[in-house]
Amino acid sequence: MASHAKIAEQLARQFFRLSVVAGAVSSEQVAGVLAYVEKHRPANSVMVLKAYHRLVAAELAKAEAVVEHAGAVDDATLAAIAAAMTKRYRRPVAATARPSAALLAGLRVRVGDDVYESSIAGQLEALASSV
Amino acid sequence: MSTVLEQIEQQIAKLSARGVKKNTGNIRTVADGVAKIDGLSDVMYNEMVQFPGGAIGIALNLEEDEVGCVILGDIANLKEGDEVTTTGRLLSVPVGKALLGRTVDALGNPVDGKGPIDAKESYPVERIAPGVVVRKSVSQALFTGIMAIDSMIPIGRGQRELIIGDRGTGKTTITIDTIINQAKINKVGLASGDPKFRPVYSIYVAIGQKNSNIARTITALEEAGALEFTTIVAAPAADNPANLYIAPYSGAAMGEWFMENGMDALIVYDDLSKHAVAYRQISLILKRPSGREAYPGDVFYLHSRLLERAARLDGKGSLTALPIIETLAGDVSAYISTNVISITDGQIFLETDLFNQGIRPAISVGLSVSRVGSAAQIKATKQVGGKLKGELAQFRELAAFAQFGSDLDAKTKAQLDRGNRIVELFKQPAYSPLPIELQVAVLFAMQKGFFEPVDIRKVVDAAASLKSFFTTRKDALLVEIRTKAALDADLEAKLQAACEEWKSSFAA
Repeated sequence: MASHAKIAEQLARQFFRLSVVAGAVSSEQVAGVLAYVEKHRPANSVMVLKAYHRLVAAELAKAEAVVEHAGAVDDATLAAIAAAMTKRYRRPVAATARPSAALLAGLRVRVGDDVYESSIAGQLEALASSV
Repeated sequence: MSTVLEQIEQQIAKLSARGVKKNTGNIRTVADGVAKIDGLSDVMYNEMVQFPGGAIGIALNLEEDEVGCVILGDIANLKEGDEVTTTGRLLSVPVGKALLGRTVDALGNPVDGKGPIDAKESYPVERIAPGVVVRKSVSQALFTGIMAIDSMIPIGRGQRELIIGDRGTGKTTITIDTIINQAKINKVGLASGDPKFRPVYSIYVAIGQKNSNIARTITALEEAGALEFTTIVAAPAADNPANLYIAPYSGAAMGEWFMENGMDALIVYDDLSKHAVAYRQISLILKRPSGREAYPGDVFYLHSRLLERAARLDGKGSLTALPIIETLAGDVSAYISTNVISITDGQIFLETDLFNQGIRPAISVGLSVSRVGSAAQIKATKQVGGKLKGELAQFRELAAFAQFGSDLDAKTKAQLDRGNRIVELFKQPAYSPLPIELQVAVLFAMQKGFFEPVDIRKVVDAAASLKSFFTTRKDALLVEIRTKAALDADLEAKLQAACEEWKSSFAA
């Protein structure tokens, strides 16, 4: 079972490498990979596709800045955030707004694994853990 | 002027309000104290990561798209998808004298119900061992209070001496005796007001022990008045393997504080066999390639980096390590045993047969060795016990041959008789370490033949009587031996006279 998972992981990684063109996930390549899997049905296809999905999702998350906000956020702010993140990561990053009342006030921006926290909820959490 | 200050204050406020960057990941799987995490792309090796609910972890496996972490703390509430964040810090534990008399867990949190620990400093759990330049050779004695060890297998401050043997052979007892003896010496030394006196503080790390055994050890130390000089790091068998894995390193960090601050410390790892088993469990769950006996390839480094942290530092203090290894059926050639034997500066081997014969401590003189040797002995012990190890080894050889025939010449019979007496003399009850001056007096009496007329079955009683005689009636002489630490002609004459006096009273 362990070796199946390992083989599936390796195949998914190969598919993922094929799907990335010039540092970005190419929808045409992804469609090609899916067509290949549909046609050839490699062993443990579901396992392969799940691993492939995880890798593609992680890569796509790097190109998107999810801006969680408690109050209103205008388009200018979103554009400024997108520009700042594009500059920081040296790749095109698009900003998407997502309202979240749990933040109380302020913003939380997530790009891939990185989280930029400037919300009141985040500060309260940091305060609670430091006490 | 005030405008300038306001500008600076505004800048500080602006910076303080700036967002904090965190690197995050999500739990993919969690099992047996080990979590596999997606993300955490910025995490560093051995970095502390924060799990929800206050649990912390250490990043041990950095792979292409996942991170393997051991989790310290409560894992019951963790589930797939939970967010994990990096902290940018290495795991640290509180250190200092505030920990003396306390029982803490692998992370330095108190578990004895005596309230919080007011530690001013913390040290990282993983540290690089002191290098060659800062080290000094071991030359100061660390008395265990066990006559067989102090006279034949002496341990020095900064040494690593392995205690190895099957289960139930008295390994832990030897270390507890040693801790109790340090406390006794500390009390005498501190009461004397001698500015040159250097107390030895002890750290006992219980790895994978039963809670009842740990409680018994604490009680023994408390009853002997040794707990005030001791810190107990408890990672009982019920803890998750990550706590068992990290506990000895936490203990070493606590000991290093004493060493770095010009003090002497003793650390007991009880035991490293269970530590290796915990690490094997973690490694197998992390899917690291396994080698001999399913241990991972870096199991040698696991113990070498730990034991190398024990040292005597030039111009500072020392950290003496007494690791314990449990063998199966006396097999010292097992994987972990041979690893630790090769790392340490000697070993004390305890034999089941000797233990069952009533020879306790059941030290096998032939297989035990201290590579520091007489450099870690005071002159008085060398004078009275210098040839003991050789004599006992000869005795064991002769005793083995004597089994084949009954006709023995007088010389052989005398040697066997003397050997039997020495064996009897070295018998010592648990938790009653002997001060070095009393050991010198007993060994002196033995060397001068005062036990020769005593029936072998009564040697133990005779030795007890001699000890009692010296402690109750010759206290000044014992103090003189302790302070001079060597036997000159005058002291020898006094000892001879005292032994004569005892002989007449014992015979009577």
